[in-house]
Amino acid sequence: MLWIALHLPALSLESFAATLGALRHALPLALLQGQRIAAVNRVALQLGVKPGFKRATALALAPQLRFGQADAAREAQALRAVAHAALAFTPMVALDGDAALPCVLLEVRGSLRYFGGLPSLQQRLRTALAPLGHSGCLASAPTALGAALLARWRSGFELGAHVDDLSALRQRLDDAPVWLLGPGREHRDALQGMGLRTLGDLRRLPRSGLARRFGEALLTELDRARGDVPDPREALRPEPRFQARVELFERADSSEQLLHGAMLLLAQLVAWAQAQHARVGGFTLAMRHEPRHRGDTDTPEHTELPLVLAEASNDVQHLQLLLRERLARLPLPAPTLALRLHCDQLQRRAAPNGELFPSASSAQQGLLRLVERLQARLGPGQVQQPVLCADHRPEHGTAWQPALPQAAVRLRSTPVAAAPLTRPVWLLPQPLALHEQQSRPLLDGRPLQLLAGPERIEAGWWDGSHAARDYFIAQAHDGALVWVYRQRLPRVEPAGEGWYLHGRFG
Amino acid sequence: MDPLPAAALLAAPETLHPALWRAHQLGRAREAAVRSGFDELDAQLPGGGWPLQALTELLLPHPGVGEMRLLAPALAGIAAAEPPAPRSVMLFDPPAPLCGWALAQLGVDAQRLIVVHGRDGAHGARHLLASADLLWALEQALKSGQVGAVLAWLPLRLRADALRRLQLAAQSHDGPVFLLRDIEARARPSPAPLRLALHSAGIDELALRVLKRRGPALTRSLRLALPPVLAPVQRARAEAARLAAEATERARLVPAAGSAARLSLAERCGLQ
Repeated sequence: MLWIALHLPALSLESFAATLGALRHALPLALLQGQRIAAVNRVALQLGVKPGFKRATALALAPQLRFGQADAAREAQALRAVAHAALAFTPMVALDGDAALPCVLLEVRGSLRYFGGLPSLQQRLRTALAPLGHSGCLASAPTALGAALLARWRSGFELGAHVDDLSALRQRLDDAPVWLLGPGREHRDALQGMGLRTLGDLRRLPRSGLARRFGEALLTELDRARGDVPDPREALRPEPRFQARVELFERADSSEQLLHGAMLLLAQLVAWAQAQHARVGGFTLAMRHEPRHRGDTDTPEHTELPLVLAEASNDVQHLQLLLRERLARLPLPAPTLALRLHCDQLQRRAAPNGELFPSASSAQQGLLRLVERLQARLGPGQVQQPVLCADHRPEHGTAWQPALPQAAVRLRSTPVAAAPLTRPVWLLPQPLALHEQQSRPLLDGRPLQLLAGPERIEAGWWDGSHAARDYFIAQAHDGALVWVYRQRLPRVEPAGEGWYLHGRFG
Repeated sequence: MDPLPAAALLAAPETLHPALWRAHQLGRAREAAVRSGFDELDAQLPGGGWPLQALTELLLPHPGVGEMRLLAPALAGIAAAEPPAPRSVMLFDPPAPLCGWALAQLGVDAQRLIVVHGRDGAHGARHLLASADLLWALEQALKSGQVGAVLAWLPLRLRADALRRLQLAAQSHDGPVFLLRDIEARARPSPAPLRLALHSAGIDELALRVLKRRGPALTRSLRLALPPVLAPVQRARAEAARLAAEATERARLVPAAGSAARLSLAERCGLQ
């Protein structure tokens, strides 16, 4: 077995600052746990603020310090997202139980060959984790706990914390400090008082005495790390329904600010979908609003933005683009405090094959994406496709439906053979009543010359829009051909013949 | 390999690079063009057809002079082409609702059509200014390179940089792009390498003037026979009716001219 451990030393701070975007490297940030500071970022550290300080002390040192509350649920969500991203490399991913030093464990012996060796796999793992925005330490070892200890023990990381061999691991672990073990941290002061600093010191002592003083757990952990006793781990399974929320750092007034938070959620969503080898078919982004004043009942508490994809996708860039276009169109009733994203529309089919050369299906794919983007910004009703209907009335002959290129293939009716042109390309949305001169129709003040006709169309008595018309092809004064008709039965104007312009032969 | 003698190069500099041509020659498009379906027109277009990866501007006095019948053969070819696949035709902000049956009769597969309206310009209301959304959508469609042909009805007033952006975007579009605008736009500068002015020249005929092309200026206007609306019999009848009307008109005018002549003669007699 070969385990890779991924230790995330700054997980709680990073999960808190993730919605800040680029600002997170510029602002001094500190996380509070109770009244004491649990974590600080680099900028705060340079100002002299250290973990363990009281809030008042830190503020005295750096008045511009921004505080956040440590949130166990937020950390768990971020850790789960990292684990989901890791599931792309191996089915055996486990979370290490130690909450103070969060760690994700991957068993990769079976995947090494596929991913081209350990260095290449580690490189890919780093690339896959980049969108989630966490920094981590990697280590690999033949035992799960051994790898986790090496990853947490950051000194020696540069030397290459990648131990392939059990005896080398044991040798390396002898120098590891005792506080790396969970139970060792509890008894840190006592152990230090006894002069026990490294795991090697512990190992040289009689086991029964150690067990009596510090409990069985310390010895069990040590044995597991060294590979003396088995260390069974339970593989993590992604939950069937994705739900994640993020509290925005500041209330967001514009959709651009919302996007920062939404991008983090999207990265987590895609990691979750990829872990199941599925693609996202649609998701809903809910925004929780801040009431304008106390007792404000007009402002809705939530705005929901459902987004359904024409074709399921796993591409973060594409999802971001769609969301950006949709958010740009959405009027927001009030500033937003928090975002929640949930998704239960997964497509568990095999992903379509990539193609080297452009082909019919890749062109179809590209067109689908284009239509989806246009519809996301303009609205689905603005990007349309004609459907031919068998109706004699010209205004009912062409129905319009929102464009969906893949649906068109299914709907495909019998192709109409090219024939002599009998219908004009341009139909007027409303037939235009024409003036008349001696019962002859006038267009723009000039008489129309009737060239062909009449073609009688009488239909629609069954659905309320009865049409009884005699159509003529006529020539306008500039030579262009137009389509006019004479209303037959219900004469609207008793005076005239009832001539209307209905189309132009474009 | 022998380098070409410098004298030969000087004698025929247009062989140096596809972008070079002499003022009396037609430019050669670097890419193959789409045949327009009208031999007379193809002979006058650089590359022998509608240019790919470049804007083509068609200026017309009003929609309905025969522009769709002019473009239909090329569009039908794109929507039905086998290699590599039939491709879509996108129409941006058409001036009126389209009749799918008419396009089907012209040979354009209606399933391959996608019509995009600007957000406020649904159903063909003509606007003075192009909406930013529409220009955005047009640019996206051109940049994606997935559309077979693009037709866009753009308003008269259009900023020059918008057209230039479209021309740049068109370079990644593997198909013809037709911008249809009002004839008034003729006086305005445009980066489109091909500009044509269309007007109707009678029943099922279109007169076409080349305003700008890569090549020598064409002074005469072309007359193209469009896919006919009228059957030959109807057309002959209409011609006969027109001739008859002209004859009666002339007959109405000629006696008047005769009487005027008589009057002047009488005047002259009176003078004598």
